Amino acid sequence: MSRSRRNRTLVAGLVGLSLLAAACGGDDSADSATGTTTEGSQSTEGGGGAAGGEFIDLGTFVGDPPEHIDPALNSTLDAYQVINALYDGLTDLDTTDPANPVVKPLVAESFEANDDATVWTFKIKEGVTFSDGEAIKPSSFARAWERASDPDFAGDYSYLFNFIKGGEEKLAGTAETLEGVKADDAAMTLTVTLAAPYSNFATVAGFQLFFPMPSAVDDLADQGEWENGVMIGNGPYKMEKARTDQEIVLVKSDTWAGDVNGEKWEDRLDKIVFKVSADPDTAYNAFEAGEGLTANVPPGRAKEADENHATTQAVKISGTYHFDINMENPVVGGEKNVLLRQAISQAIDRETINEAVYDGIRQTSTGVTPPGIPGFKEDLCKYCGYDEAAAKKAADDWKAAGNSLAAPIKVQFNAGAGHEDVVAIIVDNLKAVGIDAAATPMPTETYFSELAKGACEVCRAGWYADYPTYDNFMYDLFHSDAAGGGNNYSQFKNAEFDKLVDDAKQTVDADEQGKLFTEAEDILLNEAIAVIPINWYVGDYVYNPDKVANFPQSGLGLVAWEQIALKG
Amino acid sequence: MFSFLIRRLLLIIPTVFVALSFLFALFFVLPGDPATLIAGGANRTPDPGVIERVNERYGLNDPLGEQFLNYWKRTLQWDLGESFQNRRSVNEILGEKAVNSVRLGIWAILIEILIGISVGVLSAIRRYSIADKLTTVVTAVASAVPVFVLGFILQYALAVYPNKHDWPAWMRLRTQGLGPDTWTLFFIPTGETWRYLVLPAVALASVSTALATRMTRGSMLEVMRADYMRTARAKGLNERQVIVRHGLRNAMLPVVTLIGVDFGTVIGAAVLTETTFSWPGLGSEIASSVISRDLPVTLGLTLAVVLAYTVINLLVDVSYGWFDPRIRFGKGSKQ
Repeated sequence: MSRSRRNRTLVAGLVGLSLLAAACGGDDSADSATGTTTEGSQSTEGGGGAAGGEFIDLGTFVGDPPEHIDPALNSTLDAYQVINALYDGLTDLDTTDPANPVVKPLVAESFEANDDATVWTFKIKEGVTFSDGEAIKPSSFARAWERASDPDFAGDYSYLFNFIKGGEEKLAGTAETLEGVKADDAAMTLTVTLAAPYSNFATVAGFQLFFPMPSAVDDLADQGEWENGVMIGNGPYKMEKARTDQEIVLVKSDTWAGDVNGEKWEDRLDKIVFKVSADPDTAYNAFEAGEGLTANVPPGRAKEADENHATTQAVKISGTYHFDINMENPVVGGEKNVLLRQAISQAIDRETINEAVYDGIRQTSTGVTPPGIPGFKEDLCKYCGYDEAAAKKAADDWKAAGNSLAAPIKVQFNAGAGHEDVVAIIVDNLKAVGIDAAATPMPTETYFSELAKGACEVCRAGWYADYPTYDNFMYDLFHSDAAGGGNNYSQFKNAEFDKLVDDAKQTVDADEQGKLFTEAEDILLNEAIAVIPINWYVGDYVYNPDKVANFPQSGLGLVAWEQIALKG
Repeated sequence: MFSFLIRRLLLIIPTVFVALSFLFALFFVLPGDPATLIAGGANRTPDPGVIERVNERYGLNDPLGEQFLNYWKRTLQWDLGESFQNRRSVNEILGEKAVNSVRLGIWAILIEILIGISVGVLSAIRRYSIADKLTTVVTAVASAVPVFVLGFILQYALAVYPNKHDWPAWMRLRTQGLGPDTWTLFFIPTGETWRYLVLPAVALASVSTALATRMTRGSMLEVMRADYMRTARAKGLNERQVIVRHGLRNAMLPVVTLIGVDFGTVIGAAVLTETTFSWPGLGSEIASSVISRDLPVTLGLTLAVVLAYTVINLLVDVSYGWFDPRIRFGKGSKQ
């Protein structure tokens, strides 16, 4: 999932301004706290801890208004923040222990799979309703799924219905309904037959695409109208009015059934206003002017934000920033260039990149799959540590075997999106061990489609988890199914890796599954060296610590809006 | 006069046709497959099935000529289509954004007229005074500083700083958005709204006000050397009448042209100001629709801006006659 859809070319141009702002700010960390606003927070019930209140958010939409807020259509993390407050799915992730997230039933009372993970049965809770009082039945999910897989309506994530038996036919327009979905409202069960065994389906079933829909959607002439009106959901919040390009306003929903642990957060905020700002720097100004309680940390201001306010930059986000190496490229790919790839990986000083470009806030990677993904294993990558001597030796051995570079290695990136500095450091690192490399900017508009077609040599890529599963990294980014047009920019095709991933996807036992996935990633990182992990993302909200008691952002980047409390 | 108006109005047709056809062509010439851009977010390659459905939905599989014809058929019925991005009607988007743009534009132009002309005139009649020299410096700076830098400084000085130092609420201006929707006579902000309007209006007006000041000053200086000014004084008119009725009116022609051109700019091309202050107007919507290749929005909004621009220019031309009665329109203009 991307942070937001459009590339913020303007932002890059404005980065220089942060210097100006940094010069202006930072002198008054104590003062900034005491500003009073006419808006912002106000407690509705007095007493010791503040309950309810209004919350103005300036940190979620910093670029453009969201294109979509319909769970069937959205493909950005920004809008997912709103959708997640409006809707609850069959399951959700319990991140009470961030290092060990657990999938738990949410609107479902329980779920179970058959032995080979092809048939999933969700028992739906009795008495749970939408915010308008309509009872949630298994058919509420079936309705939503049929709607989201309607080829005339389907959004960017609709291909996930390929998981379900008959999904492919439905999306292609050759079937009327999803064959694998059976909703039994009398028994309150939703039975899902998959197209192939998939042991992580319970996690995927908690993704926005699979959220339930009330019968009100059936009355719409055009499903596209839903998100432009007052959408009815079943989450902790409901829409106060239709969205505008300036704001989305949510108010507390009294019919909410509670979170995965049954906690109802009765004192949650009364109202959340998501303001749309045109740019992160000006949103940050508005935040500092007291116009809201949060902002997005603008590029280059990570330290300043931590010093003057509070941030979620300590939260590890399940997203990876890495460079793919094209295994079919004669310069760097193939068996004969393993040593060269090892040298490249060991030559890169990831700590310096983190310090110089990201103010040291990101986590230096030790693998592709980030922490917070079930099955995650620390220190998986053998060659991700900076070791100039070893890199030089590997490069020399590679040359001694009769190899040489006809031209500098292309280190490719999408121009104007803030990657120039990272690539500059990498090029220097490589030159230091005797590998000639050249920074190769490519136009942002076509960057990823070019990579998908095989244009990658050593190319920058990034990935936020769509849902917290190991296969969302291994299968979507490196399986041979995703090569040649998909997101496998390395064009990595390895039968042993494929088999491990396929087996893991069918393994119900979590420990066994994790073992298979890490074995697969071990091949990817240490045998084939088809990818060079650089760092893992971190949270990017800044908030006003004098008004906001806590601001929890999960490993998927989602804010638990119901858990936010204001100070009294 | 009448035939002049008709001829000018007819000229709008080829202007609009050429401008929009050019944009239409550009959409298909720009790198990247439109459907992929519409369907794909940053960092990911969209599913082929999704791309195919986008192509179907928006008729991008049709031959280019057919798409072009269909576009003009709809446009002539003032059906501007729906946005590729969020499927909203472009007519609706236009209505919403145009109101915001026109409101902001009116204030920017008012500032330009009031400050630009009055300071320009004062500078001219007190030539080489301290005030005149100061004006020269300030206008030079104002026209050189990019709008987003100026906007940033204004935000810091008039919103962030006051907040950090606990100034009373009414002294703090707002940096973002439209504020409450309270307007009198369409363009006069009431209640809280003025606090949201001031910064973007000032930022947007800065460059054009500086230019108008300089042009008024230059034009006044030239006019003041004219014989008819001496004649006016010799007739015994007081200095005020001389300056305003004889000087200013004659000096206004180039300034009016400038302001006319600016009107189009502040409405259709105020991208940086709109972005800096999150003021949702036409300029930034056109810019972001170009980036995301949202063709119907780009074309629909540009069409509106071109039309507005042409009409304003027509009004400017007509106003020449009032400023300088020697200018006549139409066939009778032979002298």
